Amino acid sequence: MAGKVATPATPATQAPDAEPTTPAAPAAPATPDAPAAPAKSKDVPLTMKDLRLARQGKRASRAKAAENVLREGLRLERVPDPSVVVLFGATGDLAHRKVIPAIYQLWRTNLLPHEFILLAIGRRPYDDATYRAEIRASLETYSRVLPIDEAAWASFADRIVYHQFDFHDPGGFEGLATHLATIDKEHGTRGNHLFYLAIQPSQFAGIIAGLGRVGLDHERHDEGWRRVVIEKPFGHDLESAKRLNREVGKVFRESQVYRIDHYLGKETVRNLLVFRFGNGIFEPLWNRRYVDHVQITVAESIGIESRGSFYEQTGASRDVLQNHLLQLVSLIAMEPPATFEADALRDEKVKVLRAIASVPVDVKHGGVVRGQYGPGWVAATQVPGYRQEEEVDPASETETFVAAKLSIDDWRWSGVPFYIRTGKRLPKRATEIAIQYREVPHRLFKDEDVGPDANLLAIRIQPDEGIMLRFGAKVPGLGLDVRSVTMDFTYGSAFNVDSPDAYETLILDALQGDASLFTRADEVEEAWAIVDPIVESWAAAPAPEFPNYDAGTWGPPASEELLARDGRRWRRF
Amino acid sequence: MAVVTPLRIGEPVLRWSARAHSIADIERELTRIWSTQDLTTDVDGVPGRHVSARSSVMNLVVIARRPELAEHCAATIQALTGRHPSRTMIVGSADPDGPSWLDARVEAHCVLPREGAPETCAEMIHVTAGGESGRHLAAIVTPLLIHDLPVTVWWPDEPPLGIPAARDMIGAADRLVVDGSTWNGDGLDRLRELAELVEAGRLAVSDFALVRQSRWREAIASIFDDPEFLPYLRSLRRIAVTYGTHDETGTVGFTNLVKPVYHVAWLASRLGLQVVKPLAAIAGPARTGIARPVRSTGAVQTAGKGLGATLSDGRIDVNVLVRPVVSPMPAGTTLRVELLAERRGSELRADVTAEAETVHVRVWQDGVEALERHFRAPRLTEVDLLAEAIEAGGRDSVAEGALRSAAALAGPKGSRG
Repeated sequence: MAGKVATPATPATQAPDAEPTTPAAPAAPATPDAPAAPAKSKDVPLTMKDLRLARQGKRASRAKAAENVLREGLRLERVPDPSVVVLFGATGDLAHRKVIPAIYQLWRTNLLPHEFILLAIGRRPYDDATYRAEIRASLETYSRVLPIDEAAWASFADRIVYHQFDFHDPGGFEGLATHLATIDKEHGTRGNHLFYLAIQPSQFAGIIAGLGRVGLDHERHDEGWRRVVIEKPFGHDLESAKRLNREVGKVFRESQVYRIDHYLGKETVRNLLVFRFGNGIFEPLWNRRYVDHVQITVAESIGIESRGSFYEQTGASRDVLQNHLLQLVSLIAMEPPATFEADALRDEKVKVLRAIASVPVDVKHGGVVRGQYGPGWVAATQVPGYRQEEEVDPASETETFVAAKLSIDDWRWSGVPFYIRTGKRLPKRATEIAIQYREVPHRLFKDEDVGPDANLLAIRIQPDEGIMLRFGAKVPGLGLDVRSVTMDFTYGSAFNVDSPDAYETLILDALQGDASLFTRADEVEEAWAIVDPIVESWAAAPAPEFPNYDAGTWGPPASEELLARDGRRWRRF
Repeated sequence: MAVVTPLRIGEPVLRWSARAHSIADIERELTRIWSTQDLTTDVDGVPGRHVSARSSVMNLVVIARRPELAEHCAATIQALTGRHPSRTMIVGSADPDGPSWLDARVEAHCVLPREGAPETCAEMIHVTAGGESGRHLAAIVTPLLIHDLPVTVWWPDEPPLGIPAARDMIGAADRLVVDGSTWNGDGLDRLRELAELVEAGRLAVSDFALVRQSRWREAIASIFDDPEFLPYLRSLRRIAVTYGTHDETGTVGFTNLVKPVYHVAWLASRLGLQVVKPLAAIAGPARTGIARPVRSTGAVQTAGKGLGATLSDGRIDVNVLVRPVVSPMPAGTTLRVELLAERRGSELRADVTAEAETVHVRVWQDGVEALERHFRAPRLTEVDLLAEAIEAGGRDSVAEGALRSAAALAGPKGSRG
């Protein structure tokens, strides 16, 4: 809250001849035809609560106003408070490509408060003007909406402040605290600070400890909130994730921590919840009785770009399986939450992860497949193999592809396999969830040449976001041929509205204190509990025969065998 | 006939244009658009073929009795880049005493949402009906609606809600879009008619006059986001809305009051306040009949003191004041909203004002300034308003509540003089 300034008891803005502000009118209706104010007559039976309170000699009190009823129907559940986003790693790739374009877009669309500052933290010896020029140049490339809105940029640029700071300098955090105090005073940001760590994971713990050392984590009454956004990967195995959670927990309470997995901010991923729980017809069919199996594919046509050293340490299992893929699995498989609040939602997701972890993936018998791409052709372009990429060990054993068969040991999904796969240098970029329904119990149309496929519900996350339902239909004519046809919904033709980028959604949520789409500590640990045994079994196995798939193909042959063993096959894209 | 024009991503272009003189002709032209296979286009000079798909959003019917209004509405719809309804019919009438005739222009406008995606197209039909047929617009519109898609009727002028032909037209709609701030007089009697229409059926209503003020509502709501101020929300004692007028006498009925009254109505409906005493001219000592400046603000107070009303939650009364000041702003523009709440001997005052791009909020708690905030919130354009109206799905309980309360505040016809 702003510093309190004494003012006259009557606001200066009030007109001098305004009506008296203290109501003098009695509660009784002033006109004969006006509705009477409800009053309890002695003849009206009392409620059970009234009776109980009367016995205790108390009067029934009005229910406390628990929520701001004026918010209903407005664009935002609440307007973000005046605040400072303190961006660590402000000169880095993630900041330039994703974080700052998202903040600019929020500013452009008036979703940020007037009292807002982006405090960019970096090691480079920039001043505000140099950094703003650099941001302007990168927005020209990475802004979702071009050309840049000059008026919006001008006001946004005024709110970008650069703060040079070497994270290894222990005295630097005092300087940061002083700078933030000055900003709060000058710009009315009221001590509300969102620390955004767009930095190397190895620096997370040090920076969080530094913030704690100078008290930047403290949320004191009337002095604003403090939140920290941490980018993935959160740890590299269960042990390191637990360690990091402990380090974070020493400084920030869990409610102050926002672990970001940008997949959860994608419009179609968020729509999964609406699709499942906002439609009456699908949820009854969303269980082992009707579903044969589920396939989730996160395919990328790109390689590792210039992230060789990073990818060598992560691989597909840590880069995508542990977070994006398992998040999609948990959203598809979770039970309906009691409310749409952050913890209710995350409680249900954690239950799914626990149910998966309770049935370890059968690595020995091919329940998980790993692969690494060799040279090949993607989109009519010849591309090198993984081992030929920059910063990659020529004998690397890092997997660029992983497919697995997961079992969810709960009432709803017992016996329904979830086949998941992700890989780099696959033929195309596509993310899709396919719910494959069971065959009809009895084939009625015996004359058909080619039977229709079982019903399928495909949810496309990217590209061409949409939902497709496949069903059988009679081919026109005198015979009784049945073919599969599709009902296809695409976002583009139904809404034609620009969707916000995932980062825009998530940053706004963090500023508003809504953690629904962020990952909780126990979620992260449960996901690692699924991935760890897989990675450990690979470590214990002989060296893999890599590369085992050509760039531009759908992964190693073992991936097809994973489903073929069960009499199934991956969906063709 | 097909119109071959270069197509740039995100920019709608005219891809089909034809004339028709009967409903059957129009239907034939609409069929021809989608049976034409040679919709070859250029993207940035590179020849390419794109499969065209009609958007599956809605039917939009615009009732524009005057040609210049029809053109204005068409331009507004065109500006909804990439957000076109599936089929738009801009319907007008002419020459009411002449023989019946019909003249229509059938167009297809397409947009390429992104590279490699199919074109999404929307149809626009400009229909003018002459003579007797111009009085039966529902009979023109109904056969041309795409079935199973919702129907939105945008009535930019004042809809004659009491006339059977208008009721027929609105009866075919799922949503009616109006702008109450453009209606004649104070607009409140028409608002009550609109509320009655909504109560009677399944019609959803979007009133630009209400939507336009969402930035005020955001700012007012933000006050009570603060847990310290939230308890005062149920203890309002006074709501005062100041609006601009060009009439120095401040005569009731001269200036459209829909926007200022919506502020009170919204608060009343959200807080469950009932109207105990509807709006009525405030009686007071006779003035000289000339406007005079208000000391503290520099605004010019009108001779009339405005309207007063009383709300109640059954426990305490809330005094309402809707008062005019002479202002160069468009008549009926809200200039200030003031709230007073009292709770357990403590007082909270809030003062909300707005400019073109910003809304300002100031709050005093027991006479001490406790909050000052500024919200970046530009005024919404007509394109924004229409976009919001056509993208709204289903009935809006908040808007309906506000409309219901506004009707109750308006009171019986002629009661405010």
